[in-house]
Amino acid sequence: MDPYETENPFEEDTDRVQSEASSAYRVNLSAPSSPPSQSSRIPSSPSLGSASRPAFPSSGSHRQPQAYKSDFCCTRDQWLHSGEEVEIITDALKTSVNSSSTYITYVIKSGTAEAQHRYSEFESLRTSLARLYPTLIIPPIPSKQTIGDYAVKQAKAKEDAAMIARRKRMLQTFLNRIARHPILSNEHVFHRFLDGEVSWTEVLHSPPLSLLPTNILKAPSHNPTDQNASPGYTALPNPSATHALRRPDQRFLDSEVFTNKFAAHLSGPMEKVTRRTMKRWSDSSHDHAELGAALNGFSLNESGQLSSAIEKTGQAVDATYMSTTLLLQELEQNWAEPLHEYTQFATIIKKLLVYRHQKHVQYEMTQENLEAKREQLEELEKSEHAARRLEEALGRGRTSADSPRTEDGTPSSGDNSRADTGYLPPHPGPNPVRRRAPGMGFLSALSYTLHGMMDVDPATARRNAISKAREQISLLEDALHLSAQDLKYSSSTIQADLDRFQRQKVADIREMAISMAKSHRDWCKKNLEAWEEAKREVEKIPDHPNRMLEEIVEDSGGVANGSRESTSTIDGH
Amino acid sequence: MLGEDDDVFDSVTWESPSAPTYDAGPSAPTGPGFRQSTAESEPGHGPHDPKWEGYLITSVKDPVKELADTKDAYVSYLVSAKTNLPIFSTPNPSARRRFQDFVFLRNHLSKDFPACVVPPLPDKHRLEYVTGDRFSPEFMERRRADLHRFLQRLSRHPTLQRSTLLRAFFESTEWHVTMHQHVAHPPGPEHTTGVIDSISDTLLNAFSRVRKPDERFLAMREGVDKFEEGIVLTERLWSRIRNRTNDLTGDYHDMAVAVQGLGFLESGITDPLNHFSNTLLEFSALLRHTTQTTTDPFLIHLHSLLQYSHANRAVLKLRDQKQMDFEELSDYLSGVTSERDRVDALRGADDDRSRVEKMRKLDAKIKELQDAVQTAHETSDAFSDETLREQTVFQYAKEAEMKEMLGNLADGQMEFYKAAMDEWDRIIPIIQRIRVDV
Repeated sequence: MDPYETENPFEEDTDRVQSEASSAYRVNLSAPSSPPSQSSRIPSSPSLGSASRPAFPSSGSHRQPQAYKSDFCCTRDQWLHSGEEVEIITDALKTSVNSSSTYITYVIKSGTAEAQHRYSEFESLRTSLARLYPTLIIPPIPSKQTIGDYAVKQAKAKEDAAMIARRKRMLQTFLNRIARHPILSNEHVFHRFLDGEVSWTEVLHSPPLSLLPTNILKAPSHNPTDQNASPGYTALPNPSATHALRRPDQRFLDSEVFTNKFAAHLSGPMEKVTRRTMKRWSDSSHDHAELGAALNGFSLNESGQLSSAIEKTGQAVDATYMSTTLLLQELEQNWAEPLHEYTQFATIIKKLLVYRHQKHVQYEMTQENLEAKREQLEELEKSEHAARRLEEALGRGRTSADSPRTEDGTPSSGDNSRADTGYLPPHPGPNPVRRRAPGMGFLSALSYTLHGMMDVDPATARRNAISKAREQISLLEDALHLSAQDLKYSSSTIQADLDRFQRQKVADIREMAISMAKSHRDWCKKNLEAWEEAKREVEKIPDHPNRMLEEIVEDSGGVANGSRESTSTIDGH
Repeated sequence: MLGEDDDVFDSVTWESPSAPTYDAGPSAPTGPGFRQSTAESEPGHGPHDPKWEGYLITSVKDPVKELADTKDAYVSYLVSAKTNLPIFSTPNPSARRRFQDFVFLRNHLSKDFPACVVPPLPDKHRLEYVTGDRFSPEFMERRRADLHRFLQRLSRHPTLQRSTLLRAFFESTEWHVTMHQHVAHPPGPEHTTGVIDSISDTLLNAFSRVRKPDERFLAMREGVDKFEEGIVLTERLWSRIRNRTNDLTGDYHDMAVAVQGLGFLESGITDPLNHFSNTLLEFSALLRHTTQTTTDPFLIHLHSLLQYSHANRAVLKLRDQKQMDFEELSDYLSGVTSERDRVDALRGADDDRSRVEKMRKLDAKIKELQDAVQTAHETSDAFSDETLREQTVFQYAKEAEMKEMLGNLADGQMEFYKAAMDEWDRIIPIIQRIRVDV
């Protein structure tokens, strides 16, 4: 493994803002030579009034050029890689086609194609992709339970509608993330999912999905459905997720730690506070609705300018109710939902790292077994060699007469092993209990039995053992080669996907923050305007008569005002 | 003369007879209610329009702890005024007074001007008294504000602003002497006659409703009820919003911390996320600031206005009471009269002397009652007149206070939204500057 910096990715270090090197996750900061004007270019933020243009996955501040592609497998493929920014749009429909009860189906529009799928079909798509591409980060779909603490009561249509809308949005994001992925966007299974003319059930039961092995660890990482894969794969061990590595990869150790921290922080502080805040805004908007109505009623009992002022104040409160409702909706869609997605991503990445870990363990185990076998062979060959030298020595001393020492009646087939009987060390077969590597049980048991059977003929036994050992070593060398390939592929692919994921995550966080700021800003603006109107109305209420006068006001009524007049009035009596 | 019970003009240095001068229209944006109304105002009430003879602008400031560290320690306030009213000897009178002085002022004005709506004082028995915190800055400031409003309400009242007691409150250098004198020599005659006192309470209170209800007063009462309902409801709902806003203050603070935590994890964007976190923190601080400087004072003023309205309602009740007194006395009188007639009709031979004696007694009683009924009638009428005027005075006060309250509320809200909008506007380009290629 290449040596990597053991820099802690989450160390607080102000210098790191500009630095490129970090452990697992890196933000690919653009080259400093790009002109400053580019950095202020803003991708158009989606207007939420029209629900069509999704905000996530975000396009970031700059788009990497799409890899050129010329041979497409189908029209969906062509559309996806047309070079422009494409968006897949979803919609929700209630239907009872092919079923006795109504269910929700999601309509997917990609260019000119339109397909319909139920939630369960999205699940199967995701599972299929995860198994086809064990080294890629497959985006999450909305979980089966409703997210957040909205308890869905079966009868409450309003909450059901909210849940369906949320699912629709998240499924849309799911599809678009796949569409943007440099590898997954080329997967024909995905294209067929988008294709309205294709039966999904058929896709699930035809290649490549029908060729997926039950245990992916025993299949090539780069393509588990590869029918031409070497049979050596089946010989690979099946390690548990927690098996420790002798020489772990620091990069991925750091990734694991980081992912755990990230998951904890997101599902803990961030999601909890977000949920709480949403609830509070929801309550606040209801409060304002009630107050607005109360003030309206209040104004009806008063008269004149006071009544208008109270009414306008009520209207300002009403405006706050409406703007808060909108704020809530926007925060839900552009902050809470993507946040939850990333919590789900953390779990997905953890699984991916476990897979890589297992591949690494496979490699180490195979290595260990190979070493063990080689040692065993060495031992056997040493014995063989020793035995031969002995025989030679003895052979030279036996040219004159038959050895009177041979007393046993064992039939001699003319080989030297009989003469060696008394001098051989106890049978040299490897103790299957010692050095027994897990996963190699079958071979060890076999060799033990073989040794046992051939105990009677140690020399033959040893020679058989030697050839067996050589066979096994050859097998193990193949397996090691496969394992090394797989490990290398897995590690590099996962690393690359993690890097890509990191960039997308930063882009999405950026989008989330911008959206939150804009939502709040707009909320402030609307409320400010409403209160300005209210203030204007309040100002119209006449001042109290007990006032200091700046000047004496003349009028036609002839009624006194001002200090002088009042004095004279008093004196006049 | 009988009307003087309720319009105690002896307390006012005003030598004119009882009938108040008329005012045509109440609404006058530039004058103290003197200008004849033109298009916009409601129809003038004629003899029931209040008239302001001048202005009296008051203030209560500068609480100071006197005799500190002794068991007799108390707080004194600087009360001062700007005025052009002739009864004041200087245009800028001022004095230092303590809470007890305000209490005296209030109580005696209520007694002297029973038909006027005298504003209430805050409770003396606050928790702080028991815990000994009555010298904390918060308590002193709160009380100062309450007293300021009390004097302001007094000074806005066209009658009360000209009372000798109020003048003494500002000008007297020997306030204690004034107080004693005032108690010893109350300004007007007793407003309850002996006859009414002698009639048992049970008889009077048996009829708890006015016999001939006057539409105007019924409408007034209903208006007051509805007004108070509105205030109570607004207070309740706004309190709820205040608490919700308090919660949000905490939430946004926590959100700021969480975002900062995210910034620590994401080393590439720590800086912009820190800025974002600061914005959230600022927003939280603005929410809290608005609650303290706008919402809380609004709620306090709202509650105070409710108390003032209760005082108004009490005067309305008193008016009803006066009318009931009159009606009950009338009933009693007619009862006694019919008894006398009955006795008169019984001309039998035997008890001529006792009959005559009885008749004589009844006649005397009737005469007494007739006087009392007349007094009660005039009292009731005068009280009703005054009440109509008071309603207009109170309406002015109510409008002025609601203008102040709603105006301050709107100002506070606008200030908050403006400042918050600026904060959010400022963070947007900072976040947008994050460069990332996807």
